Amino acid sequence: MRVTALATLVGAALATTTGPALAVWHGYISHPLGFAFAAPGELKVEKGTYRGAVAGTRDTLVYRFVDDNIEYKAVVIDLTDNANDAATLLGEAEYNFQDGKKLLMDTFGRLDRQYGRKLTIDLANNGGRTTAGFYFINGRIVSLQATVLPANGDYESPEMARFVDSITFFTVRAPDDAIELPVPPK
Amino acid sequence: MHTRVLSTLAGVALTLAVMPAQADWRSYVNRELGFSFMAPGEIKAAVGTFRGAIAGPRQTIIYRSVEDNIEYKVTVTNFVQAAAEGATILGERQYMFQDGKKVLLDTFARVESGKDTVYGRKLVVDLPDNKGRATGVFYFTKGRLIALEATVLPTHGNFASPDPSRFVDSIAFALSRTESGAVEIKTPALE
Repeated sequence: MRVTALATLVGAALATTTGPALAVWHGYISHPLGFAFAAPGELKVEKGTYRGAVAGTRDTLVYRFVDDNIEYKAVVIDLTDNANDAATLLGEAEYNFQDGKKLLMDTFGRLDRQYGRKLTIDLANNGGRTTAGFYFINGRIVSLQATVLPANGDYESPEMARFVDSITFFTVRAPDDAIELPVPPK
Repeated sequence: MHTRVLSTLAGVALTLAVMPAQADWRSYVNRELGFSFMAPGEIKAAVGTFRGAIAGPRQTIIYRSVEDNIEYKVTVTNFVQAAAEGATILGERQYMFQDGKKVLLDTFARVESGKDTVYGRKLVVDLPDNKGRATGVFYFTKGRLIALEATVLPTHGNFASPDPSRFVDSIAFALSRTESGAVEIKTPALE
């Protein structure tokens, strides 16, 4: 009996030391942009570029996290000057996301009175697997994208869906301790 | 020899007699609403209604024909004052089209090219209770939601008919692509 208990404890300790450290997920919120989400790891704010035939070339604001070889990104594309073309701009972003890649899932995304899409693709050259949600709200495309990198290797990881599905456009749904996202760097 | 020719001719005549009459497909254009399409049969214009949780209650403009037990329908809904909500309004319409039905296809649809590209979606569903198979494409452009739907009714029977795709894929928003001789269709007045 004592031997069994001891072996169980040793096994549990071993599993804890060899498994990846589970990062704490934090809530994040942007009151100016009108959305909130949850992510693990350290936040970095970056600027990027998005190009589409209809959208043209646009600066993007990227909130990025990396944890356990999974990259989490919240990408915001400001299209307020062309918001009346919302449906096509969103469709173009979704199309570009999967163009030339292996599409594994393409389904409705809907929450908080917003309709968008959720897609999963395999990246080219065994670059990993990305699940993304796309929405158009308040003149902006908001896209949450989680990529399981080859170094992680668990392409069935539930963390991708956890991140993408954490988005809310009703900021009252954000946890009380959600961290206010910083404004983009100039 | 004569007998063989005669029997061949009789066979052809019999085949033609029992086959459904192939209606002519014609091009239609509404320059005011900014689109053209092709359909068989006699197109009739009507005013309808649509209600979505987000879109709210709306009057619609419908162009409809029925040919060989396939119903062809173009529905135009005006959202000029809510164009910035077009992505969600379009998503809701697509969702409603397939909600509770067996989805056979749900894929990207796009017409025109370059900066004039219009993105939408194409869906094929089986209607409940064996009521047929519906193919739809949905676009939102210039403040209007435009849906083309073709339903193969059970009395037609051939759910793999290429005619629904021919119809929904014929939509054009660049009027320069309108076929010469296209029939001008009027916009019925809404109440």
